[in-house]
Amino acid sequence: MIKDLRFKATCFQFLAFSFLLSSCIQKKEIPLPILGEREVVGSDTVYHTIGDFKFVDQDSAEVTGDTFKDKIYVADFFFTSCRTICPIMKTQMLRVYDSIQNEHDVLLLSHSIDPEFDTVGLLHDFAERLGVKSDKWHFVTGKKEDIYKIAQTSYFATALEDKTEPDGFIHTGAFLLIDKKKRIRGKYDGTKEEDVNRLLADIARLKMEDGK
Amino acid sequence: MSQVRGSQLQTSNFKLSMLCFLLFTFCSSCSSKPDSKPSESSTKFQQYIIQGEQLYLKNCSNCHQKTGTGLGLLYPPLNKSDFMDNHFEEVICLMKNGKEGELIVNGKSFNKQMKGISTLTDLEIAEIATYIFNTWEHQRGLVDVQETSRILSHCDSASLSSKH
Repeated sequence: MIKDLRFKATCFQFLAFSFLLSSCIQKKEIPLPILGEREVVGSDTVYHTIGDFKFVDQDSAEVTGDTFKDKIYVADFFFTSCRTICPIMKTQMLRVYDSIQNEHDVLLLSHSIDPEFDTVGLLHDFAERLGVKSDKWHFVTGKKEDIYKIAQTSYFATALEDKTEPDGFIHTGAFLLIDKKKRIRGKYDGTKEEDVNRLLADIARLKMEDGK
Repeated sequence: MSQVRGSQLQTSNFKLSMLCFLLFTFCSSCSSKPDSKPSESSTKFQQYIIQGEQLYLKNCSNCHQKTGTGLGLLYPPLNKSDFMDNHFEEVICLMKNGKEGELIVNGKSFNKQMKGISTLTDLEIAEIATYIFNTWEHQRGLVDVQETSRILSHCDSASLSSKH
């Protein structure tokens, strides 16, 4: 009987301790940084946000800033005929896709930086062969200058045509995490598994932040 | 009646153990295959494999993956591939010259152009071939440079004839 009580007491102590510990850890969790330049207007801080855009996805549907209204999303830049880093990026983005498939407020956006070659039909085939749904993962094409401009000015990603490169383009393998207010909250190397693990953790953190 | 059944059981037991034994010897003979390569080529074989792996990681694994699994219906798998089993010479040729059009691998249709890597030397292709044909589920043995050069010299006519 006494033994039993003692056991219960130890259990209780253990639970209380772990509760305290977990609450400490939670308090210590700092929010994700907000990337880009910021301006202080009066008492408000204005952060860098993704500018407006209008592209077409693999289903010929228009994709604009409104498509991502109240959504967290991950953006990247690629082209279907690329043999260098894109296939690795797509392998990694597929991991992200698998982990957010059932999250209603997280989407993916892949921009083609070779939009003349990557037509709607080609992107449709690409997405289908990858086995992904178009309402979750938009592959977009559009005017080349619009895509290059948004890459550089909104996402701080490099996208350039360069005939001296093996596949004709220079671009970064970055994945960018965008929050519901269109602010950049993280930049990850989409060719590195560990960095993409960090992205997966950060998506969860961002969702927690929104939940508060 | 029960005796008959008992003896039937015994025979089936015996058959089963024979089968197991046969399977075992078959398996062990399979797994020892790379070791039983002619000794003159075993060092060469190892060199080809090691070089081939490095070349594979540099030139092929972006799409076909380090594990050879491929990706969806975009990039066909190499780890288990009836196409590789049945089209050895074509695989050698497509590394150098590329491949267009539909390709059926393990019953699935792939149709995305693969650009060839024309800068690969015959030796490098032989090394990659030795690596991919002796890794995962493949155990073809050494693919040496002479054989590779011979195959590569016939590629153009082969790919032309397949177009007609």
